[in-house]
Amino acid sequence: MKRCLLIFLSLFVAVCIPARAETDAEVQARKGTLDLAGAFSNDGFKIRDGHWCGAVKPHDHALIAVNLYAGNQYWFSVGANEPAKKIAVSVYDETGKQVTTEDYNAGEKAAAGFAPANSGQYFVSIDLVEGQAGSFCLVYSYK
Amino acid sequence: MIRLARLGAIGLIASVLAAIGAEPARLPADQLAKAVRSDSISIPTPGELFAALEKPGKTDWSGQYRGPIPVTYRNRAQIALNLGGLIADGFVAVEAKDSQQVKNIGSDIIKLAKALGVSQNLLSRGNSINEFAENNEWDTLQEELEATQNEVKSSMQSHSDQDLVILVSLGGWIRGTQVVSGAIMHNYDERSVSEQLPGIEKLVSFPADKAPSLDEVRKVNEAVGKVMEEIENKAVAK
Repeated sequence: MKRCLLIFLSLFVAVCIPARAETDAEVQARKGTLDLAGAFSNDGFKIRDGHWCGAVKPHDHALIAVNLYAGNQYWFSVGANEPAKKIAVSVYDETGKQVTTEDYNAGEKAAAGFAPANSGQYFVSIDLVEGQAGSFCLVYSYK
Repeated sequence: MIRLARLGAIGLIASVLAAIGAEPARLPADQLAKAVRSDSISIPTPGELFAALEKPGKTDWSGQYRGPIPVTYRNRAQIALNLGGLIADGFVAVEAKDSQQVKNIGSDIIKLAKALGVSQNLLSRGNSINEFAENNEWDTLQEELEATQNEVKSSMQSHSDQDLVILVSLGGWIRGTQVVSGAIMHNYDERSVSEQLPGIEKLVSFPADKAPSLDEVRKVNEAVGKVMEEIENKAVAK
């Protein structure tokens, strides 16, 4: 049982990264993201009170780990700022294999919907499809 | 024209075959290892876990209540652990749709947060929790609890108390594990456990290809129960 607690402890220690101040561009990106995520609330999705902002560059992606539960449905919503023109969101399982998602793409905003068959760790990737490096923000909703 | 049509058909067949044979994109292990892990996104909230747990059938949430805990600890680490546990209790009370219980827990959360010196911004949260509970706004209450938890953590981070942030999360998940294992134990359904908990199997080191048995769930519940006793123990408070 000590081993169990060590696993729990290491999980929390590993993931708790101190917060940094957000740039104005990230705050703007977050606003756009929340507008998009708000649309899913009409279908009963709850927006998680948490977000991840950063920068995305051409020919590169931003990747974050998430832990999802089977039985829940999720929408990962992302908004970006100029000069980023088009972004895409994709989800990968713990082995790195891309999973099938329901996609929404509208230039600087994109979302991926997913209902995991298995609980566990997944990865959400934000890709810059068109335009130059810019700020983005990710939030997710679940029901 | 016939030649063009043949070429078109060949092209179409080639595209279909390519599509059928196309492997889904795959990220290499070194990229997965570099993925960001953030408390505000990577760690699921108790609300998400409880939402998943409810899917197979109705859960007796009020059966998982515990008695009131002391709110006069002096040890900051112990306060942080208990604060996390109380926030998890708040989620349980929201799932049970028990407004009085939500209000009681909300009041205790504020008391413990005050003891950690993070109460200023939280006082308004406490009022909101009471108001939403009185109006039975359960979805909003769940969001408010998540916001409260995040506000406690960001306040601690601003005071460079990163260790306490981790303890709040840890306290929440120990209490969450106690609640979930208790709920499963009282209404054990092997099929539901197989469908819902493969991720938890990994966390608690059960064999990867086998759902935990009732006895194994009971052992987890007993173990976290003992940890909770230590966390709540007033005698160790210094």
